[in-house]
Formats: sequence, structure tokens, C-alpha cells
Amino acid sequence: MKADHRATLLRRRVFSPGFFSVTFRAPELASGVLPGQFVMLEVPDRLRPYLRRAYSVADADPVAGEVEFLVRTIGPGTSAVEHLAEGSGASLLGPLGNGFSLEGLDRSEPVAVVAGGIGAAPFPLLFRALTAAGFTADLYLGGRNAAELGFRERFAGIVSGETLLATDDGSLGERGFVTAAFERRAAGRSRPYTRVYACGPMPMFAALAPVVARARVPAEFSTEAAMGCGFGACLGCVIPATEKPFVISCIEGPILAPEKIAWDALTPALSQGERESLR
Amino acid sequence: MIAALETRLGPLTLRNPILTASGTFGYGLEFTDFVDLSRLGGICTKGLSLRPHAGNVPPRICETPAGMLNAIGLQNVGVDVFLQEKLPALTALGVTVIANVWGDTEEDYVAVVGALERAEGLAAIELNISCPNVAKGGMLFGNSPAATASLVARVRSATRRTLVVKLSPNAPDLVESARAARDAGADVLSLVNTFVGMSIDPATARPRLSFGTGGLSGPAIKPLAVRMVFQVAHALPDVPIMGIGGISDLYDVLEFLAAGASAVQVGTANFRDPGVSARLVSELEAYCTERGATAASLVGRAQRFAPGGEKGAEG
Repeated sequence: MKADHRATLLRRRVFSPGFFSVTFRAPELASGVLPGQFVMLEVPDRLRPYLRRAYSVADADPVAGEVEFLVRTIGPGTSAVEHLAEGSGASLLGPLGNGFSLEGLDRSEPVAVVAGGIGAAPFPLLFRALTAAGFTADLYLGGRNAAELGFRERFAGIVSGETLLATDDGSLGERGFVTAAFERRAAGRSRPYTRVYACGPMPMFAALAPVVARARVPAEFSTEAAMGCGFGACLGCVIPATEKPFVISCIEGPILAPEKIAWDALTPALSQGERESLR
Repeated sequence: MIAALETRLGPLTLRNPILTASGTFGYGLEFTDFVDLSRLGGICTKGLSLRPHAGNVPPRICETPAGMLNAIGLQNVGVDVFLQEKLPALTALGVTVIANVWGDTEEDYVAVVGALERAEGLAAIELNISCPNVAKGGMLFGNSPAATASLVARVRSATRRTLVVKLSPNAPDLVESARAARDAGADVLSLVNTFVGMSIDPATARPRLSFGTGGLSGPAIKPLAVRMVFQVAHALPDVPIMGIGGISDLYDVLEFLAAGASAVQVGTANFRDPGVSARLVSELEAYCTERGATAASLVGRAQRFAPGGEKGAEG
């Protein structure tokens, strides 16, 4: 059940400048969260940011009672987390949202995970769940440059299949968008991936949606929208949809099938990508 | 609930003076994991229209210093779904429900109020004449005293329920709007709705909200709202007021009561802290118990500092 968990910051690990993880002690949350779910995190006693921020749960250890988040500093909310002192408290409202589904996967074919930049955030826990359930998964991790692939270290030893890196400037891995790298690899396979799980900025999703549609691979996108509350009260985080005007990202998502999203209706402000949308 | 917190708003009697503001509390049911809704003085629902309404294209919200801008555009399930699904669930939980109502035209308002007239378990109607985020209706009714008077009079003749009118802080003269609503039959006034504001991304020079402008709420507007409650309470001392605007803690509640509000509505704070409303009930209860005070005794204590002394401008 969702609740407001009082949590203590145990440690911070910096992967590259502005890319870091924070691990909190929050035993109830650690034992109740599913891959792809998120929390609304509050750094207490602040008027800026006033609202909480949504963070995907990156990993959870029910035995140790710990939850981890991957963070990229992009604005006042993330900056507050970057400067939170170890041992200090924060409030974690969650678990929220629907989470990834592992139902209907074919064990004879691998799964693909496609992540752009901070879109790596929800996937350590998903890789853990996929491995535990006997599925093999490949990781496609992309970013503008090598520094944006800092989180690749976080996946060392937990990716059951292959890892492919791509950077826009070619400074690490293949040159070009990770969606293009994924498309080439997927097209070269004798049998398709059984499913694609993806997370990244809206432009990455907009590029990936037609790719998975052409390949007829079922996909689950972990969408990003500015959230005021995280539990369906403010209706601030809606995304233009195909079957009705909008989906409410926080309660009907954040994991959405690409065919549910009206990609043509995304405004420039919605597709601007990795910026803290709540300033 | 102790009797010390019992709150009278004209014909309406509430358990306590802590309510939740329309648009910040969904239909109440979103909060059942965090709040025992029956402990609240009441909840004001998301604004209801005759038919379901999709609302504005996103981005709909952005954060500002000590607050937020929203241009949700009154997305709601419509009055029929509210009556079939939401209200029975709320009634079963023992919640005091105030239905917030809006429309594009006077006829729309009257039709929604008419649909609600048959329902059981509604404590009052709150007319939203102050939404800044729709092209028609909404704030247009609240920004002209003549339009306010006409609409309130028509709704007044369509319902026997307690009628709350939620005023716009964007009105040219809020006291005149309040007087118009009162004279046309409002039992209670709630103030204030959000202030029209704007935020621009300097990197793109593009407004952060797709609607362009939005309604500002949160602690940033509290002093403005306190001043407006104080002024209206001074001018119209016989009209009960629900104060709204940036209320986050007990001291904010006490401040609005002192200004002249008989009750308060907690708004944006519900997003950041979904349990805040029930906690404020407990804190106000403890405050009154400690001092042997009643909530009613805390109302209007600052009015003696108004220009002209202790008496209001009119009786």
C-alpha cells in the first residue's frame, strides 16, 4: 500500500559529474516496490522546490531495507537531492504507478532494455527481476557523450545478455542515437525480441515508437511527465493518448505501451527532453 | 470530534473548520491511503461540469518559488459519473461533501446544480466563478459583479442547498464581487481561487504552460489571500467566509481565522503532503484544548485592526 515513508540517506555514489545514486533506508518501501514504480521524494523544509519530485526506484533490497535512486542534476529538485547530507531524512511517498509487466514473455527469446541518459534509472531492479524469473535481457544504453553514460557502471554484473553503448558524439560505444543502434541490432536478429522496455527523454520515445511498431515487438515505455502529486489528484501529468484525450501518467502509467500515446500531439514543450520540468 | 471545533457557516454546520480545496483533492477518494476523510470538516470536489471534460493540453503545471502554476482546464468526470461512482463511495466513508460546479454558460451551471439536487449526501454546492484556465465561463463570471449577481441569482432559485460562491482574486474589486454574490443569495463565500500568473522558460522563451498563463497557488499567495479575506470580512461581517490560499500548517489556519474566515480550505499543500489536512484537524484540536478555546472564538480577532475600528463597514 502506498504511504509516506520517512527515510534516511545512507550513501551517495557519484558515477560522473551530475550523475549519482542515493540509497535510503526505507524497509517497508524496499519490500513492497515493483520494477518501474516510482516515489515522490521530498527534501523536507524547503520552499524551493516546493513540490516533491518523482523518481523511479532504481533498486530495492528487502533484506537490507534499502532503496536506491539514480539521479541526474538538472534543476533545483535534483540539486537538493545532490546536496542532501548522508544521515539526513527525506520523505518517500510510494510505491506509486503501475510498474513494468513481465507477463507474457517468451523465455526462448531475449528481452531488450533501451535507456537514454537518466532513463537508465528504473532498470537495475528490472534486470534483477528478469534474471530471477529466468529471462535473458540485453541493455542498450545511450547518451549525448561518454559522461552521460556514467550509469553503465551501475549495470556491471547484472545484465544477463549483451550491453551496447551509443553516444551522439561517438565518444563511447557506437556513434549515433541509441534508438538507431537498437534498430540495426534488432533487424539483424533471426527472431525478434520478445519485448522492449524503454526509458528516456520524449524525443527518444518518439524515435523508438515507430521502430518497435515496424518490428512488431511489444514495448513498455517508462514515460516522464511533470507530476504535481504522483497519485492522481492534480491531473498535471497527463499525456496525449490515442484511445481517449489523455492518460494520467502517474496512475495509468508511468509504464505505457507506445501505441497508447498520441505521438503526433506532443507539443514542443512536452518533447524538449531532459530538463527538470518543474522549476 | 470535540464540539470545540464545530463550525457554523450560515445554514451549514461542519465538524471542524478544516476543508480541502477544489482541484487539489481530486474526488477525495485519491487520498484514502493518507487521510481518514471523515475527520475533515469537508472536501470540495474537483469542479464538475454537465458532461465529462478533457481539460487542457499539457504541460499543465509548473513550479514557481513557494508555489505552482496550473492550467489543468477543469478536467473532470462529469456530474453523472460523479453521482453514480464518486458520491456513493464518499457517503459510505462518512465524508462531508461540497460539490464544486462550473460551466460555460448560466444554463450549464443551472443544469449541473439541477442534477445534483436529487442526490443524497451532499452538504453544499460551491460555484466556481473564478477558474482562470478556461476560455469561456469560469473567471468571466467572477470578474464582473453584474455577471456574478446574475449567475448566483439563477443558481439560487435552482437549489435549496447551501450555496457557496468561490470568488476570484483577479476580480477588479473583490469586495464588490463579494457583495454581488451575497446580495444574489450566496450563503457562504470562499476566497480566493488562484491568481493569474505566467512562467517562461528563458532558454526557449516559451511559456512553460501550454495554456500560456495559469493559476498561481501555494505559500507564495498566502499574504495576498489573507489580505483579501480580511477586507471582505470587514466589509461584509455577516457573510461566513472560507479562507483559501497557501495554507500549509496550523499557524496559517490560525492566521486565516484571525483575518475573519470561519473555516479554511487546504489546497496545494495536499500535493506535497497528502496527509496534511487531517493532521491540521488534530493540531487545531490540540491547540483549542490546550487553551480552552473554541474554533469559533478564533474567528475575526484581527478585525479590530481594520480601518474604522471594530465594526464592519455595513451590518
